[in-house]
Amino acid sequence: MAINRRQFIKRSAGAVSVSLVMPKFWMANVARGQEAAADPNRKIFVVIQLAGGNDGLNTVVPFTDMKYHDLRPILGFKDTELKDAQGNSTILGNDPLGLNPAMSELKSLYDAGRVAILLGVGYPNPNLSHFFSMDVWGTANLTAAGVGWLGRYADQKLLGKSGLSAVSIGGSLPKTFYANKFVIPNITPAGNPDPFVNYAFQTDGKFVGDKNNQINTFKSTNTRSFPADSFIDAIAKDGFDAEEGAAQLRAAVLNYTPGATYPTGGQPSTTAVSFASALKMVAQIITTIPDANLFYVQLGGFDHHSQEIGTNADNFTDKTKGQHAVLLKALSLGVKTFYDDLAAHGVADNVVMMTWSEFGRRPNENASHGTDHGTGSPMFVIGNAVHGGLYGQQPALSDLDSAGNMKFKLDFRSMYATILDKWLGADSQSILGAKFDNVGFLG
Amino acid sequence: MASLSYEEAAHLLRRAGFGGTPEEISDLSSRGREGAVDFLIDFGQIDNSAMDSLLTASFDFSNPLANDAKFNQNEIRRWWLTRMATTKRQFEEKITLFWHNHFATSINKVSGNNGLFMFNQNKLLRDNALAKFDDLLLKVAQDPAMLIWLDGLTNVLGKPNENFGRELQELFTMGINDVVTGQQNYTEDDVKQIARAFTGWDYQRTSPFTFRINANQHDNGTKTIYGQPGNFSGQDVITMISARPATARYLTWKLFNFFVYPVTGSDADKSTIEHFAKLYLNNDHSIKELVRAIFTSDEFFSDRAFFSLVKQPVEFVVGAVRMLGGTYNPGSTVSTPPRTSTELQTSSRNMGQDLLNPPDVSGWDFNLGWVNTASMLERFNFANRYINNRITNAPGVFVTNDQLKSITRGSSKKTVKRFLSRLGPLSVGDALLTLRTYLETGDNGQPVTYVNDDATVDKKIRGLVHQILSLPEFQLN
Repeated sequence: MAINRRQFIKRSAGAVSVSLVMPKFWMANVARGQEAAADPNRKIFVVIQLAGGNDGLNTVVPFTDMKYHDLRPILGFKDTELKDAQGNSTILGNDPLGLNPAMSELKSLYDAGRVAILLGVGYPNPNLSHFFSMDVWGTANLTAAGVGWLGRYADQKLLGKSGLSAVSIGGSLPKTFYANKFVIPNITPAGNPDPFVNYAFQTDGKFVGDKNNQINTFKSTNTRSFPADSFIDAIAKDGFDAEEGAAQLRAAVLNYTPGATYPTGGQPSTTAVSFASALKMVAQIITTIPDANLFYVQLGGFDHHSQEIGTNADNFTDKTKGQHAVLLKALSLGVKTFYDDLAAHGVADNVVMMTWSEFGRRPNENASHGTDHGTGSPMFVIGNAVHGGLYGQQPALSDLDSAGNMKFKLDFRSMYATILDKWLGADSQSILGAKFDNVGFLG
Repeated sequence: MASLSYEEAAHLLRRAGFGGTPEEISDLSSRGREGAVDFLIDFGQIDNSAMDSLLTASFDFSNPLANDAKFNQNEIRRWWLTRMATTKRQFEEKITLFWHNHFATSINKVSGNNGLFMFNQNKLLRDNALAKFDDLLLKVAQDPAMLIWLDGLTNVLGKPNENFGRELQELFTMGINDVVTGQQNYTEDDVKQIARAFTGWDYQRTSPFTFRINANQHDNGTKTIYGQPGNFSGQDVITMISARPATARYLTWKLFNFFVYPVTGSDADKSTIEHFAKLYLNNDHSIKELVRAIFTSDEFFSDRAFFSLVKQPVEFVVGAVRMLGGTYNPGSTVSTPPRTSTELQTSSRNMGQDLLNPPDVSGWDFNLGWVNTASMLERFNFANRYINNRITNAPGVFVTNDQLKSITRGSSKKTVKRFLSRLGPLSVGDALLTLRTYLETGDNGQPVTYVNDDATVDKKIRGLVHQILSLPEFQLN
């Protein structure tokens, strides 16, 4: 392993200097309930991870390809089946591709020219381990070494900005957001009515009357003066900033009013509700923190080795139901609601979303009405700034590799490079370590 | 024999382990400096049957290849943290953690067989933690986890992969430059030649995955290593490197940074390193004798050493439980239905230390590497979940009102002092008064008289301990 930046910092001067890792929460213009002013220069990027390996062939369906139907006698969608619940076609214009019928909302965004679909996205010599391949995508490095690609961006661009300029919503910080210098917080949603409630200096729930005493005591003990440049001084300052930053965030998002109706009450699925809730948290931060720049949300459960479609009632044959349809509906509905909310707050022009999944699935369905780990799959880039349409190339099902998987057509790092160069105003070469062709869906 | 004060014994137990109760600390203190260190290091004689019984009741690792919920990476983490939180042989776990960081291997790459290779490596490190260094290093190098991690499997005749040959020198033994003399320890050509010596190292692909050398993939040509020509094998290289003074110095330096204090480049520190490095060379590369010498040294008990390190996340979570006499009930996959608590591993991961998954081959960033706003919030909120968890009949981590009450005294001042002593002992200056004031403040901010009755214990004493666990002083070790 060559010396990377992280090691360089670690090995020189003993440790990362405190000023580098200390976020600046003290934003004079962040007050309770105040909305961030409209600013055409704001460029916000939201990553949506589809964890587990999304079945690309049943997401963007090559319904005219007889090979597809040969390989998927049970799972495959016929052209007549590419209709959403209202009976509207999900076929993409005159193209030989159709969206999974569960994705009616995303189809409407596509028709409005807001969605770029990148076909056959992958990388050379794909690794079919979930974890390794996730790290490849997260680091934008084929050996999965180093910190995250957006972590490297944050190290270049976000030092000195609000500690909330990049935020992950989920169970833990994703590799994509691992950085050497800039610290990106992960906020674990606490559910309704206040999903940010856990992102705080928490106190005993049994005695809420003592909370103020607790907070005051904590602030007092963590604002004592300690020797400059000592460990304990850095600890006290970061500890105090952690409490204050969290409190400011909660105050800022308190008066946010959603501009769209997010799903609730377990409908259409609990997954859809929790995914949309995470996006709603992102909307709350976007509309209240002017420095907001990078976000990350996750939709998991795509590892459909069995019973990818259907339910018990239909003996797992109804393609409009089942695990994959539930997840794609959650994605589609969540993205559209979030988009509508942003539009209502006047910031839809400022936000671009990108989906990714660590790999696709094998074209040939297995005997369990499921699919095994495969390769190249379609990714979505969504937003008003996006030039909608199809990019890349649908991999030929008549030209599979020795494992029976598709050959990728578009390097995922080209997708990243396009976003870095054309949306985030960064230098993709310095972040990705090499020059990758821009794809053309932005700029 | 040097005496060992209570404060010194507490320092020793925090560093060689995770900290303990006053009974454990007093017992160590009564043994004197050398006796206490011998007791901790010669841990084989300590009865650990209670932990063994708990592990048997809590885990079923009998069929690791079954690919079920009983054996996987989270179960391995739960198993290790259960050991850390309940073992009587604290140094056994701490030195294993040292080697896990030293030979930093990640399950992100070594994920095969349900994590079995990472589990086996952990056992290997534990079983050989205090052996002759050459023996430990050879076993690590021949273990499937390392052969996968640093690409030994693709290091073959004619197409050497230099990954292991490089890190073997740079991170596992000597460092690029000698930590005392500053001289370069090896050349790029040494890396290439050493990679050739390890060609063909492999393991059998069926259980028990025994090490083997693929003779037809091994380079039998002459290699010139450190200026010396010969048909060296990988084992020869390990013997050569283990005997180099640079290795003795680098290992001493790593041990000091982990167990004693952050080492500087001063002449005094260099001479300290040199002193212990000689001890390694004069004692047949015995890790056990090296750590015994370090833990009994005046440097270890110097003012400079006390609270000079930032607690690692696992030290924080396990220490908070052990010092207070709290309970970690890991739950069980053997019971019906299976119920487990992953509180300790999840919390330490969120604080930046995901066991089995160090960030890269150079291990975790220590001290300030643990300190940022997100990780600090995780520390405070772990303290809150632990101290205010009143569910004592389910898997999780908790402390009871009775345990807390036994530590209190009738006055607020004595009570605060008792808890500060219990959780360090910590010296906190003005914060002592702030904490007393907290005990004597009611919900509306009005002054109240402190009494150590049950209601106060359940409310204010739990709050007090949460505050102490959130003090900057408690984050230090």
